[in-house]
Amino acid sequence: MKIRAIALNTFKEATRNKIYYLLIFFGIFFVLSSKLVTLLTIGDHVKVLKDLGLASINFFSVLIAIFTGIDLVYKEIERKTIYNILSKPISRSCFIIGKFFGLALTLFVALISMVVMFFLFMLLFSGELDVRILVYFILLYFELLIITSISLLFSSISTPILSSVFTISLYLIGHVIWTFNEFKDKIVNPIIKIISYILYYTLPNLEKFNIKNSIVMNIDIDIGMILSSICYAIFYIAALLILTILIFNKREFQ
Amino acid sequence: MKSKLFIFIIVSLILAGVFQYDYDSHTNYFAEKNIFVTLPKGKTLEILSFGFKNFVADMIFIWSIQFYSNYNLNNRFEYIEDIYNIITDLNPRYRAPYYVGSWIMALELNNYKMAIRLLQKASKNLKDDWDFDFESGYYAYKYLKDYKLAEKYYKKAAEKPDAPSFVKRWQAHTIYMKDNLTYALKMWLEIKENAKNKLEKNSALNHLYQIKFEIDKKNLEEKIKLFEQRFRRKPVNLKELKRKGIINMIPKDFKGEDYIYDFKTGKIKAKKVFRWKKFY
Repeated sequence: MKIRAIALNTFKEATRNKIYYLLIFFGIFFVLSSKLVTLLTIGDHVKVLKDLGLASINFFSVLIAIFTGIDLVYKEIERKTIYNILSKPISRSCFIIGKFFGLALTLFVALISMVVMFFLFMLLFSGELDVRILVYFILLYFELLIITSISLLFSSISTPILSSVFTISLYLIGHVIWTFNEFKDKIVNPIIKIISYILYYTLPNLEKFNIKNSIVMNIDIDIGMILSSICYAIFYIAALLILTILIFNKREFQ
Repeated sequence: MKSKLFIFIIVSLILAGVFQYDYDSHTNYFAEKNIFVTLPKGKTLEILSFGFKNFVADMIFIWSIQFYSNYNLNNRFEYIEDIYNIITDLNPRYRAPYYVGSWIMALELNNYKMAIRLLQKASKNLKDDWDFDFESGYYAYKYLKDYKLAEKYYKKAAEKPDAPSFVKRWQAHTIYMKDNLTYALKMWLEIKENAKNKLEKNSALNHLYQIKFEIDKKNLEEKIKLFEQRFRRKPVNLKELKRKGIINMIPKDFKGEDYIYDFKTGKIKAKKVFRWKKFY
């Protein structure tokens, strides 16, 4: 009940932020303007519409996840409203979990609004509605939840600017960590090898949620891999939230 | 105050326009020039795209269309193979860059081998598509005149699941062009038997007529030479070859009609001649 109240309050607070609407607006704007880009290309226009639409939604929803995630916890600390909340019979873990679910709801609403516009747009210009794209959006949502939990972790220990830098860095690392897979087996030094293995398995692997290519190019999607990616996301988020709670519990507010 | 600001904005815009006009009057946007293009390798760009490799491939492809439409750039073809390899490394199943890239390479740059390389990359990445092998075969046939290579690609295209029937006809034709007449005859007979419409059947009949004529012409002209060696003259007609026991029977064309024999030259002609080979 307490978690629900914090989550709803977080959602309300996030939706009051103008940046939230601005990012949704730009996401939708880029989806719609992809029609103009198809005028410059030759060949499969529907493929380009899908590529640009999915890339726009991906990019702007990641920005929403990073900036709303960072902003909300830090604001509570900065404005000292956290004293009010924590003076009530609400544990710090409830506060973090409530914040996470509130941000998850905020992201869900933002993503849904962009997805609906994307589907309407595709229906209008290509006359087709590829329901397989929904699978991509489900995976994207889980990727966003991981990013949110990362931003929540950093925002509870650092300033907004540093949190943004750390979260964006981890987001970028998450999308190139697959290259590490080839690299780590070639290391000869056993200590560096162990370190590289630890890094490979502890850093987020976000590329597994990126099935844009399979969706757009009509390549078969492996359901087992999708379920495995969702399970990965759930456990990774759980680990990050526990870590955030542990750090947040130790933190002293002055 | 507001009207003064408004006048200031108008004057500023007019001055900006004057400077732009001055710049334009000194610049020839359509002058021929050289350009330096640099892009990282496909794998590097895939890493640097941070999960947006389709988007990056689209953007480079769209840029390449505009770039190769600019005829003022003298050295625009220098990196064409690299550019289309980057696009197709980023998105190996993206059809349009293979088509467009190979068209530019073949029809503008006249580098058919390069076009075939790109098309074969497409064939490798899009295994069920017949048209990339078909187009490779066409460039090898039409421009490189390498019938062996053309036959190889047409054969590959014909084996693909949705390949239309004309692909097999092209394969049979290249076999005929590389002078494997017995195999070509066998293939065209098979095409005739499986023909689904009049066009296919007529095409097969024309080829069978021509191939049978070439086989018969070769055999008959050899026999005429043999006759000439024995009797120190050319036979008066083909019946004489049979009469003297050099041939068992006089071959007829595919329609069952007699060949035309030229007594003076000792050459054989058919009533209908298709100019598929230069020497006819």
